[in-house]
Amino acid sequence: MIKIHLTCLFLAFLSAAAPAAEGRLYVNDLKAPENRKDVEAIQSALQKALPQARAATVCIDLGEGSGTGVIVSADGLVLTAAHVAQGVKKKVTVILEDGTRLKAETLGLVSDKDAAMIRITEKGTYPFVAMDRENSTVLGDWVFALGHSGGFDKTRGSVVRLGRLVRIADGTFQSDCILIGGDSGGPLFDLSGKLVGIHSRVGQQLQMNMHVPMSVFLENWDGLNKAEFIGDGPYAKKPEKGKGFLGFASEARPEGGLRVTKVGKKSPAETGGVKEGDVLLKLNGTKLETRDQLKDLLKEMAAGDELKLELERDGKPQTLTFNLGER
Amino acid sequence: MANPKPLPSISVNANCIKLLLSCCLAASLHGQQSLESAYRTTGPSVTAVFEAQRAVLQKSSAVILDGRKERAYGVVISADGYILTKASEILDIKAIAVTVDATKYTEVKVLETDPAWDVVLLKVEAADLTPVIYAPKSDVPQGTWLVANGASSRSNRRALAGIVSAKIREIPVGGTGPMAGVALGIGLTENSKKLEIENVAEKGGAKEAGLEKGDIILEIEGKKVTKKEDIAEILKDRASGTKVKVTIRRGKEEKTLEVRLMARTEMMGPESNRNDQMSGDFSKRRTGFPRVMQTDILANSAIVGGPLIDLDGHCVGMNIARANRAESYAIPVEDLKSLAERLIKKAPAK
Repeated sequence: MIKIHLTCLFLAFLSAAAPAAEGRLYVNDLKAPENRKDVEAIQSALQKALPQARAATVCIDLGEGSGTGVIVSADGLVLTAAHVAQGVKKKVTVILEDGTRLKAETLGLVSDKDAAMIRITEKGTYPFVAMDRENSTVLGDWVFALGHSGGFDKTRGSVVRLGRLVRIADGTFQSDCILIGGDSGGPLFDLSGKLVGIHSRVGQQLQMNMHVPMSVFLENWDGLNKAEFIGDGPYAKKPEKGKGFLGFASEARPEGGLRVTKVGKKSPAETGGVKEGDVLLKLNGTKLETRDQLKDLLKEMAAGDELKLELERDGKPQTLTFNLGER
Repeated sequence: MANPKPLPSISVNANCIKLLLSCCLAASLHGQQSLESAYRTTGPSVTAVFEAQRAVLQKSSAVILDGRKERAYGVVISADGYILTKASEILDIKAIAVTVDATKYTEVKVLETDPAWDVVLLKVEAADLTPVIYAPKSDVPQGTWLVANGASSRSNRRALAGIVSAKIREIPVGGTGPMAGVALGIGLTENSKKLEIENVAEKGGAKEAGLEKGDIILEIEGKKVTKKEDIAEILKDRASGTKVKVTIRRGKEEKTLEVRLMARTEMMGPESNRNDQMSGDFSKRRTGFPRVMQTDILANSAIVGGPLIDLDGHCVGMNIARANRAESYAIPVEDLKSLAERLIKKAPAK
């Protein structure tokens, strides 16, 4: 009886250990490198992966301060940390390794896991890296970090650091690649150059360098892509309800609907396409009757929330979709 | 003692499995796995692979001591006892001693200093030291392994390994960014037609020189100054630690004082910079180098000054500063060689 149990476990263990991922460097499966050949194997794998990893690593300029991010698609999707993005649908600037500055906007974020997505809004074909979709890294694997430590510095470039995955706990990777401010949101790679994590935070000790594993991004991919604010802190604060801003004046019509009498210059309403004279009929599916009712509806929304306005312009129905701004 | 009997194989397997099982259980219970510290990048089981490079450090790096305290490391550059080390870490030592390999030297001459590189030449009485062998070039690809001194015991050096982590470049005084450059350490009154001192920074050179609130600045280095921009222009390319002559009027009296320039970043308390708080320890002098290479070796400020060794055991540079927890600087070998020659030439003949 006992014997059978033990055998089962033993087999289970064997099968778990059996499939060595393709392209996986043998040194990862040593407790420690044993000779010069082993350390040179780490070095040559790192140097082979570095040019593409470096090309895809970007600085995210927030005006006040900066972080790092990494491009994961040719059309310019960038992964970073939620505490770098700070919010959804915000305008930021992405800086490539050569100093090129590109317009970008923040998409979704996972505020309790420190994950976020950004999109470069300027059309182009960008250098990008592959993601580790199989969660294939294990404890002790050799990894390398890139990041714009302390901010963008063209004469220095992004800084590379080599280390091992030293702890996996509560859905967080910890490595001994030493991180510092400015690295936040930057990429952690395995030795084949696949993205395995995003830098999140550090502790006082040099070995406390935390990364968000790729699985967090993959599990939340759709929400991130749709610019959703996921989770409830602490890495990003949800915009408060009632502080949203549209920027037009209107009057109620006796027959229902609100007539727009004035649109504020550069207001979210103007950017969204609202024009003087439009008759607003529905907001997110709710019929509009009075100005107070519109106020009440807006009180329940926060800056960044999407709104759908059904309206009549020159007697023809139209639908506008845009985001509430911040007052 | 009798040889221990090998255990029956099934029992060995059972033990193994139990162990594995308990590991797995512990791991799944707490949802965590942790790598023993010996196998982390700076752990002894990993640094053991760099024994050949450690052996070079054992012979060709020096430990600079203040009593029993390690203050810095040094690079042995000649068999007859010339050693280079980081000036700002050791110049205040009253009774300096040097250890090379297991030999302690208490007769140490402090010879020439190069303020630009923050390097000082030392000399001990010796005849058969093993100087470093210079590598052909410092410009090796990023990601290349390099080895430097870790903390050491009295007779044994230890190795710390890391990689080339950024481009070779100049580090301007005060670093890059808004706080770059040197300053006198004064605040001036706004909207005044005179350059009147409003306040004097506690840690700045102006305070040391005796400048006071209310003093009117007339000239710097003999040049008339009437607005802030004039001062900025004169200080622009000067190095931290150098002095300028400042002529002031105090009441009816005019006088000229020598003010030591400091990097703006040096004058501020540690609380002013979040990255420095995060870093813990860093070198007092960490900016204003003509050219550095950068590594991710986890140096603390007491283990700079020694050689930076490649896998062949050759010296590619000299560790010169721990800038912060993620960035360490070294003087590239080309500059180190010419600096060594220059300082030995200047040193008084034996």
